[in-house]
Amino acid sequence: MNSSLDRPTAPVGTPDIDLLRQFEPVVRFTKGEQFFPTDVDRYVAECSLWAHYPDGREEIVVKQGELTLDKLVQQRPAVFGTVRFLRFIETLTLSEAAIALTEQAQLRRKLGNYFKVGMGRLARGGFLPRLADALFSLSFLLRGKVSSATAAAAELAFNRMHAEDEKYVYYGRVVRQNGWTVLQYWYFYCYNSWRSGFHGVNDHESDWEMVNLYLYEDEGELVPEWAAYASHDFHGDDLRRRWDDLQELDFVDGHPVIYAGAGSHASYFRPGEYQAEVTLPLPSWVNGITRAMNKFWTEVLDQPAGNPFRIPFVDFARGDGMKVGQGEKHAWSPELIDESTLWVSQYRGLWGLFARDPISGENAPAGPMYNRDGSPRGSWYDPLGFAGLDKVPPPFQALGYLQKSCDEVAARQTELDNLIPKKAGDLQELGIKLKGMEGNPHLAKQYAMLEKKSNALADEVKNLRRENSENTALLQGLTQRLERMKAGMQDDPRAHVRHLAVPVLAARVRFGRAAETWAAISLSLMLFAIAALVFFAPSFIWAGLVIIMILFVLAESILRGAFVETMTRITLLLALVSAFILFIHFWDIIVVGGLIALGVFLMWQRLRELTG
Amino acid sequence: MLKRKKTKGKKRPIAVTVIGAAIVVLFIVRLYQVFKPLYDMGLFQLGMVGRQFYTSQGLTGMGWAIIDSASYFILAIGLVIVLIGFLRMRRWSWVMLMTWVGISMVVGLVDYFYVGQPNYVIMASDVVIAFALSQVEVQRIFGIRTDISELLS
Repeated sequence: MNSSLDRPTAPVGTPDIDLLRQFEPVVRFTKGEQFFPTDVDRYVAECSLWAHYPDGREEIVVKQGELTLDKLVQQRPAVFGTVRFLRFIETLTLSEAAIALTEQAQLRRKLGNYFKVGMGRLARGGFLPRLADALFSLSFLLRGKVSSATAAAAELAFNRMHAEDEKYVYYGRVVRQNGWTVLQYWYFYCYNSWRSGFHGVNDHESDWEMVNLYLYEDEGELVPEWAAYASHDFHGDDLRRRWDDLQELDFVDGHPVIYAGAGSHASYFRPGEYQAEVTLPLPSWVNGITRAMNKFWTEVLDQPAGNPFRIPFVDFARGDGMKVGQGEKHAWSPELIDESTLWVSQYRGLWGLFARDPISGENAPAGPMYNRDGSPRGSWYDPLGFAGLDKVPPPFQALGYLQKSCDEVAARQTELDNLIPKKAGDLQELGIKLKGMEGNPHLAKQYAMLEKKSNALADEVKNLRRENSENTALLQGLTQRLERMKAGMQDDPRAHVRHLAVPVLAARVRFGRAAETWAAISLSLMLFAIAALVFFAPSFIWAGLVIIMILFVLAESILRGAFVETMTRITLLLALVSAFILFIHFWDIIVVGGLIALGVFLMWQRLRELTG
Repeated sequence: MLKRKKTKGKKRPIAVTVIGAAIVVLFIVRLYQVFKPLYDMGLFQLGMVGRQFYTSQGLTGMGWAIIDSASYFILAIGLVIVLIGFLRMRRWSWVMLMTWVGISMVVGLVDYFYVGQPNYVIMASDVVIAFALSQVEVQRIFGIRTDISELLS
């Protein structure tokens, strides 16, 4: 519920830190969240610094316990392709891993900080996406992966740090660009536990999240207009919401509320459970075949599109856990940063383990100013472009720009209103001249020249008239908008949003409990059935596999209330295979029959035409 | 005398007629399969008197022929029921027919890959029916696929 409908303002010239404090968001976490925004100093003190070289070698640069922010930013020349990274949790032995996992369980029991998954993500996808999910999990055997024991050790380490000095930190930055004042809030987490803690896509050491607030100046006051939260799968315009969009933005005493994704820490405007999708990393030739088959399926067979290789993941942003910020038990400790902050600008490495994951999901991120490859981060150097605001002037400037455009178009219209009759008169004069020259063969040369001139003038008049017509419509639109703006009327606050992040409804599955149970056991049941097939009927292995798969998919579809759609898809696939077999065996009959049918059809059409 | 009113509103597309024709073909094939095992066992020539259907070892050839014949008869009757529902454009008949065709094609493909002698006439009819049933126009008429505009109206 929104507790404040009026926009708070701050006088122009307010010190940056006070400005940041005045609008600092409230962050609401999901119950079960293990990591909260903390300060980089203490984190770095717990880390070691490493270098990964292009030949695969890894070398410790500064040992754990010796690293400080000053040491982190020291210049260290290295060959191209070197990756510097921090390591929060050192490699664990088997016994250390077992101890970490046990202590993690004890800690959770002690804190009573449990996460209840509810309707899991597996039940939200179908049987094939679940099969793809199993393959995705298996892909971690080949890709780099942060282990569950590392996650447990990170949780313990963070809790130890937190117990010593409970502090909730954000790093704030104020940028002034194109009439906007951008308040940038950066949140640093020791660990992203989305996969290990909340059935998500990935885990990695360290996590940087960011939120931007956009203010404009009005009569000496800074007024908030937009809020943009970084989130999965969304970019540009889709990231921002207008301050008065109370269906999308929650406030506590003028402070916007962020609902943080459990483990992922992605920021959402509304509480709920969001479905993110990940495409299985497949070889390019498999993707090519899938695309071609999808095209055939949708365009030739006119069937609804679908991709079995997309795996649905749920980002839980329920907001029912710990809360930090205005009006809550826990308050923020802000720290100002900018390019002169050395750890921001001088350390281009990763802020956690470099897991050597080729698709980067398990590698730690770089700092606020850089991407993983050390290149500048767009959201740092272009905070307006990040939320698609680079093309949007602040409200007070918008009115001026619009008035100027109206004046320019109106002036051009006046000019055209004078020019067109004059040019049209000239054209008519030429026409009369040409008419007078007709029937006089000795004037052929002059006639041709004049005709050319007349054609050129006709084109010019036509273009001027078109411009006049287009400008009339343009001026009408601009004037209407100007009048609306002068009257204080605003656009739809979500007119710019193309893809709106909407929480998934809790009851999307027809038989919730049954579907969830089935989702949990179906893959194992299928493996048992395959084992029985191999044991009892090895000669029917391929047919058996196909039939088992069909039966499992159909059983799933009944639970999900999608039997007809699924059965149609399966039958069509079988029909394609059968048609192929028929063509192989009877291609000559099919070709002859087709030709005869075509001949009969054409003859019938022609005869009908003949008989009227 | 009362005259039966003609059904108005739903226009029967060509694909429905094609499917109807394919069902008739399937019905004829099934009817043939009803009589063939009985004919092969000489039922029509020698009659049923004195025939054994079951021994202590299990079913005799004649017993199997009657079971085969009876199952094909049930299939043929089923086809007639589906055909009637289909020509009256009922949703259940579409679902039943699509399921039927799917099962029939699985049987046909297993036959093709493991026995080598599938019934190509049935396979072809199944393919025609499956493609015709999946036409958007047909699905719409039987209420399988609904457009957003239809839902809004």
